[in-house]
Amino acid sequence: MKPKLSLHQITHSYEDGSGRVSILRELSLDVQPGEFIAVMGPSGSGKSTFLSIAAALLTPTSGEVRVDGRSLADKSSKELADLRLRQFGFIFQSAHLVPYLKVEEQLLYVGKLAGMRRSEASARAKLLLGQLGLAERRLAYPEKLSGGEKQRAAIARAFMNKPDVLFADEPTASLDAARGQEVVQLIADQVKREGSSAIMVTHDERVLHHCDRVLELENGKLRVS
Amino acid sequence: MYLALREIRHAKLRFALVVTIMLLVSFLVLFITGLARGLAYDTTSALETMKADHFVLEKGADNRFGRSLLTGNELDAAQEVVGSDKALPLAVRMSTVSIEGAAVKKDVTLFTVDADSWLLPDVMEGSTITSTSEGHVLADKKLKSAGAEVGTVLKDPASGMSWTISGFVDQSAYSHTPVVFLNQKDGAKLRAAFRSQASTQTDSYNVIAVQATKEQVHELAQRLPETDIIPRQDAIDAIPGYSEEQGSFTLMIAFLYVIAAFVLAVFFYVITLQKLSQFGILKAIGARTGTLAAGLIVQVLLLSVGSAGISLLLVRFMMQALPDTMPFRLGTATMLLTAGAFVLVAVLGSLLSIGKVARTDALEAIGGTAG
Repeated sequence: MKPKLSLHQITHSYEDGSGRVSILRELSLDVQPGEFIAVMGPSGSGKSTFLSIAAALLTPTSGEVRVDGRSLADKSSKELADLRLRQFGFIFQSAHLVPYLKVEEQLLYVGKLAGMRRSEASARAKLLLGQLGLAERRLAYPEKLSGGEKQRAAIARAFMNKPDVLFADEPTASLDAARGQEVVQLIADQVKREGSSAIMVTHDERVLHHCDRVLELENGKLRVS
Repeated sequence: MYLALREIRHAKLRFALVVTIMLLVSFLVLFITGLARGLAYDTTSALETMKADHFVLEKGADNRFGRSLLTGNELDAAQEVVGSDKALPLAVRMSTVSIEGAAVKKDVTLFTVDADSWLLPDVMEGSTITSTSEGHVLADKKLKSAGAEVGTVLKDPASGMSWTISGFVDQSAYSHTPVVFLNQKDGAKLRAAFRSQASTQTDSYNVIAVQATKEQVHELAQRLPETDIIPRQDAIDAIPGYSEEQGSFTLMIAFLYVIAAFVLAVFFYVITLQKLSQFGILKAIGARTGTLAAGLIVQVLLLSVGSAGISLLLVRFMMQALPDTMPFRLGTATMLLTAGAFVLVAVLGSLLSIGKVARTDALEAIGGTAG
């Protein structure tokens, strides 16, 4: 099967006061459609850098990122923003909802940015909020939501534009164990339902059984753990 | 637009406070502009409405009518150049008159003009004067607020003369005083009363008002080397107190614009700083910088147009309520121009924040716990 997202020989380094520091060394990864991958690693191992490069937020020092077989190397920042908008979904450490938008509007706004028709957008928002158990809370502001509800709203927002690849940056970091399980379960369910691929960076070992593949980031390379 | 409106909806109090400040500032801008214009008009209207385009003054008079003194020789020369009906003598004298029956004294400016010429404005109430009438004058309607009416006698204690008001004219004020128009006959008597202490010339006057083409002005300057020939605006600028007043007002208005720009700049800058992580997230999700910047501009436009609009209404109401004695003039064109300048200045003030939004990196969203 053709990989949805592929990272080929990625090296990333930066100048430090004492010399060049390499965070990623010739890292390669193929993500198949519908695959849910977890990336583990201690802090400072480069998980955030890895995710930023995979999600087209950061350009690697060398190597190539391909989405659907097309290289991102020569795309402008506007094209990359459009790519992130239409083909990627993001779930962050804390939910990062826009504080002055009601839950439903968080989703509608993302749909609007992508140029989705209003009727289509509200139908999609309604569907997602129903699937994630937020139908009752759709008119609440983020400040009125619990931590779990916020993260569920963020998941719904990430799926709004039917992303090909979902990126999750430590989605359980600000939740207790039970809420963490629930949230990762929801992400896994949603990935299966939508047929998206997903990469989750985490150091929470209790949620790994939801994932298809678990990789460890060590010395700038990924290995099967 | 989507975000801009919803943020205002959510943070009503915060935005209401800023609108209030903007409203007060823009109201003050409009009010002071109106007052400046009103005072200006109260000082200059006699010259603004006069149909002369140039004035001939004695050299060294510093463009001031009161300091200039000319004789028949200059008048003859000027009339030879532009024609006898286009160069007319004008005598100006500040005085204080008592209004019969009102027991008050009023400062007035006496203009002695040829009553059959274009120097005499049209009458709005009562009847006009002619060059043959005697003891009759036209007065600016400002005198009415002091109790004068058609037929009222004005007494000039300094010269011992008295005149009957034959009619009122509109918009004839000079240096904050109403103008009283005398014909040449009464003007000559007035001069005669002061002859011993002033000029010995029988037919002296202060300036010559002319209607001249550019070439004629040039010719006049050659024919009359001992005079200054100045355009009407220069004469207006030299009216005692005018430039000083307008200078102060211009300074105040300029500062108000600067303050308005700063208030908005600071408000939006602080709000933007608070939201930087949020902008990072939105950029990571795929919002373009242009979209976010447009939202900011929409907010600034809404706030500034809203507050300018409300203050326009307030000024309108206030204009109805102001007493006639308060000089206040604000035409629709000036109002709209002022409001437009205010909005423009507000948008300029928001550029600082837009720069900040543009420099925010989407990367801040990853690995961060902010927000």
